[in-house]
Amino acid sequence: MSFNFLIRAGARLTMLLSKQRLAAKRAYVTAMLQVIGRALEAASQEDEVIRKEIAAFPENFLFEMKILPSGPSLALSKNARGEFDYLGYEPNRKPDLSLQFKHLNHAFMVLTFQEGTARSFTNDRVLVDGDVAYAVRLVRCLDRLETLILPKLLAQRALKAYPKVPLLEKVTGGARIYGRLALNFVR
Amino acid sequence: MTQSFYEFFCPVKLISGVAALEHVPYELSVRSASKPLIITDKGVRGAGLVDIALEAFAGGDLKVGAIYDDVPPDSSLDVVRRAAQLYRDKGCDSIIAIGGGSVIDTSKGVNILVSEGGDDLHQFSGAGNLKRPLKPFFVIPTTAGTGSEVTLVAVISDPEKGVKLPFTSHFLYPDAAIIDPRMTLTLPPHITAATAMDAMTHAIEAFTCMGKNPMSDAYALAAIKKISRNLIKVLDNPKDVAGRLELAEASTMAGVAFSNSMVGLVHSLGHSLGALCHLPHGVCMNLFLPYVLENNLDKIREPLAEILLALAGPEVYASTPADVRAEVAIAKIRDLRDDLHKRCNLPRTLQETGKVEQSQLEKLADMAINDGSIIYNPSQVSYEDALAVLKRAWG
Repeated sequence: MSFNFLIRAGARLTMLLSKQRLAAKRAYVTAMLQVIGRALEAASQEDEVIRKEIAAFPENFLFEMKILPSGPSLALSKNARGEFDYLGYEPNRKPDLSLQFKHLNHAFMVLTFQEGTARSFTNDRVLVDGDVAYAVRLVRCLDRLETLILPKLLAQRALKAYPKVPLLEKVTGGARIYGRLALNFVR
Repeated sequence: MTQSFYEFFCPVKLISGVAALEHVPYELSVRSASKPLIITDKGVRGAGLVDIALEAFAGGDLKVGAIYDDVPPDSSLDVVRRAAQLYRDKGCDSIIAIGGGSVIDTSKGVNILVSEGGDDLHQFSGAGNLKRPLKPFFVIPTTAGTGSEVTLVAVISDPEKGVKLPFTSHFLYPDAAIIDPRMTLTLPPHITAATAMDAMTHAIEAFTCMGKNPMSDAYALAAIKKISRNLIKVLDNPKDVAGRLELAEASTMAGVAFSNSMVGLVHSLGHSLGALCHLPHGVCMNLFLPYVLENNLDKIREPLAEILLALAGPEVYASTPADVRAEVAIAKIRDLRDDLHKRCNLPRTLQETGKVEQSQLEKLADMAINDGSIIYNPSQVSYEDALAVLKRAWG
């Protein structure tokens, strides 16, 4: 009798912990998507390499990254100045490109640098809805962003190969993006 | 290189070997179908391959509803619509594709329209936009290269918008692929060589790129072995039925491998070269293969060394020091290409194609780094890297 009670209590506790873990993961992924969205917006205003990539997207190009089945998500649209605008809401039209993680945990693995972006694609954890060439460009934008704003040790885990970026370019590029990020937040 | 996660799926029934075509009526009947639309092209029909199939079907309870033989090398939405209309007009209940990549892709598009209804393929473009099984669909390949008979992808041009529409869905897999040596027996030598090198590239990229996994590895190695053992034999003796069957099976096995592991930079460059200079896909694959392997060498030394066993056999493998097996594998591929160049003028460099200008290399590099397959290449490829490979491939 008491043994069964212990088993039931243990199972209930495990479920509770598991729910809390899931909620924590969801909160982390939601926060990270916001950071990435805003950082991409800032990078599109500051970094020439990313601006060049974005130049290939048509005006009003709408990009979404979301976690199936029901979010969280981030959305960016290209404005007339050739920069990304971070949209703090779900877009009301079908995105031109949507990258969809099949499960929250898959996004969590990428956003905690346990699994690189390319590996996540290779492991078929990400669905691409839209032109694959746009997806390839977007991945390059993310790679560039990670190279500039993350410490090398972390960026190496996210990227297929860490590019040869001069220290000065990394420091000044990263500082400009962080500065713009702060400015955008204040505005 | 073995990865900790993979997916593997191939629901296509393979019917392979002597008198395989004669299985079609029975296989259709178990899917409650008896009136197929045959989709093919003028070349295949002109070569008498449709007649061979019809003769084989004759003994069974099957009545061909109609034959659509107007598929061009680059299929388009219009072609799909016309074939779908013929299917409906004749009251067909299934589709048999007899041909190569374009015919198979067209047939997949036709199957979407006749199963889902309507005339608008756009709404089904992209990944996972089909939600239910389609009509019974069989494929009889007439080249031994594309592997399209075992893939879930179709690409169809929209000439009005100037884009190629990709379709990816598990429901696009054919129900059955019929590999019959009679279908490739009359392939001319240069097409035999180019398509076999297409299959070889599928297998080698499947075995060396990021998505490699134990299942795709098994198919890839077996395909490489079959092609290396039989390609030259078949070119020496084109009527070698057993050799033709080996090449056709290898092509299908390579198709199973790459559709479950994807491909890399050879395809990124090949897709770009094909689109810009209108060179056949197999020619592009043969051309870029060794240059890309050299570019990726640091990342693929181990699997490439394993490939040597399938490429050159146990004696060469055993007598080659372990630390140079990867380089020797590339050298063997170069030897094979030299042989194919000598026998059927299959180009080994961009110059040898006679259709590429040196001024196009930069455009090609730009196109290649935006091709979807670049993601799966084991080494990171920048514009400069792609251009460097192209310059080496120039010759």
